[in-house]
Amino acid sequence: MGPLDGLVYGFSVALEPTNLFACFLGVLIGTIVGILPGIGPVGAMALLLPSTFTLQPATALIMLAGIYYGSMYGGSTTSILVNVPGEASSVVTALDGYQMTRKGRAGAALAVSAVGSFVAGSVGVVGIVLAASWLADQALRFGPPEYFALALTGLLLLSRLSGGSVIHAFVMVAIGLALGTVGMDSISAMRRFTFGSTQLSQGVELVPVIMGLYGVAEVMLIAESGLRKARIVTVRLRELLPTRAEWRLSSWPIARGSVVGFLTGLVPGPASVLATFIAYALERKVSKTPERFGQGAIEGVAGPEAANNGATAGAMVPLLSLGIPFSPATAILLGALVITGIQPGPLLISQRPEVFWGVVASMYVGNAILLVLNLPLVGLFVSVLRLPQHVLATLVLLLCLVGAYSLNNSQLDLWVLVIFGIFGYGLRKLAIDPSPLVVALVLGPMMEKTLRQALFMEQGNILALAGRPITLTLLLIGVVALAAPPLVRWWRPVPPQPPAPPHPTLSPKGGEEA
Amino acid sequence: MIERLLAVALLAAGLVYLGSAWALPLGSAARPGAGFYPVAVGVFGASVILAWLATALRGTATAHAVAVPADARGRVLITAGLLAGFCLALPWTGYFVAAFLFAGLLLRGLGSGWATALVIGAASALASNYGFGVLLGVPLPRGVFLD
Repeated sequence: MGPLDGLVYGFSVALEPTNLFACFLGVLIGTIVGILPGIGPVGAMALLLPSTFTLQPATALIMLAGIYYGSMYGGSTTSILVNVPGEASSVVTALDGYQMTRKGRAGAALAVSAVGSFVAGSVGVVGIVLAASWLADQALRFGPPEYFALALTGLLLLSRLSGGSVIHAFVMVAIGLALGTVGMDSISAMRRFTFGSTQLSQGVELVPVIMGLYGVAEVMLIAESGLRKARIVTVRLRELLPTRAEWRLSSWPIARGSVVGFLTGLVPGPASVLATFIAYALERKVSKTPERFGQGAIEGVAGPEAANNGATAGAMVPLLSLGIPFSPATAILLGALVITGIQPGPLLISQRPEVFWGVVASMYVGNAILLVLNLPLVGLFVSVLRLPQHVLATLVLLLCLVGAYSLNNSQLDLWVLVIFGIFGYGLRKLAIDPSPLVVALVLGPMMEKTLRQALFMEQGNILALAGRPITLTLLLIGVVALAAPPLVRWWRPVPPQPPAPPHPTLSPKGGEEA
Repeated sequence: MIERLLAVALLAAGLVYLGSAWALPLGSAARPGAGFYPVAVGVFGASVILAWLATALRGTATAHAVAVPADARGRVLITAGLLAGFCLALPWTGYFVAAFLFAGLLLRGLGSGWATALVIGAASALASNYGFGVLLGVPLPRGVFLD
């Protein structure tokens, strides 16, 4: 099936009533979790994962993916209207979006943001179709050494790009890899690190770990900050139409942001966040009036908003074509695939076309639903913020607890949730990003299996792995990504910078989830 | 200080992990055993945690700990305590009672009045019990008195 036929088939799957409803539900939940502080897309996806056990694989994935990209829309709404980014990927939007609100142009900022997100989502779908099909074809030539090198390079890139210190990222990777070894060895069936627990022989569940690190830890931060009320700005429907000049100024930033976002999404790391910063810097650089940035420049909203949606589409490429997730959100999507009995990887396109093409087409449908949903109902969505934060915090925690228990009806999962919640809170206080831990936990078992298979293939000669061109290229990319920044710093030391001016009130959900 | 404590705790855990990994069959390079990869992970983990601890002890903190304000410590401790309390109470009291106590006490601890806390606590326990226990068919614990 060619890309065009595949996409047409995908639309027939995505437009089935059940899948259409799942898509609507996913983007609606995504928008709400994007708006609300306390639970981000990763926490929400983890929370809803058990409810997808009984769904068809395509339906489950369509709903979870909808939450993922829907949250990008919701996050920008609160950035623009109340200067509180609902997501880390909307922080940049607040810089100019909130200034536009103060100048009475909130409606225009919201409209440009929604249209930019839609365009980027649509460009992203085309990108997925082209890139994922090609990559999946290439990946058919991959053996265990290539998969091991790909996962290793992914972790190295993630450690370099996840923000903060590389040592912290490596510590997180080590914890994730170690957790991935708990349970029964997939080759010898020997129990490892189970301390006699039967439940632990099945390994550490991903979902309570993610719920703890993202959901519980976030709620503990809300508990710490106490009771706060957001000042709600109302926007009338007629105010949503940007002027002709605003459209003209936004069109190229949207186009550039879409491409930058998609390409950034292909790279392991906090793609959505990174993409917004790159898009913002790019717009500022190409602008003839860069001094307007930070004062309410519409290009500063259009570019980053297109970029964060483009990045969510880009991040789907390695998942759908290689079966390898490079972010916590795509790790949950992988979990959903595995739970529904699907083997992720390059054969997904040919063996389960309804899943691959259905999900890809649903992203286009979902973006169209979001455009229709978000603009007229923006007032309704923002009013969700009127819910007192301590009530929201309590409800989220209760949902996390019952959600974690319902995975396996197990007390162990509850304790994993609580332990990782408290650990995640500590990490937030130390400004350490937990996403390398989550990705390493997902990739760890695959890395072990492929490393052992590769060593077996090469008769124990580990250097022979580097003799394979793809493996060598991948490993070199990882080494360069890791070594280049310190080498560049050593070669060309940066002079000390004066302290940055105070930043507007930005309090996004911590961590770089997507 | 928090950073050093966390690094020491993780180093201890890492060494225990490495010790347990050594006890597993390592195999050979051509036929790696069940302990081969965990040992590699353990060595890597212990090395990076040692590097972290060394930078933290030298005073060149790589993490920038944000202190918990004194008035917020109580709320954080209440939240953590109630989470652990829920896990302990669940098999004994059953889901509904544990959820009611958890939600009610947490709301009260975070600043709600008693009446609001009890009403929202009961409503959320009831709704989640119905949603997960009845609609999704999750066998939620009923407690020692009802079982």
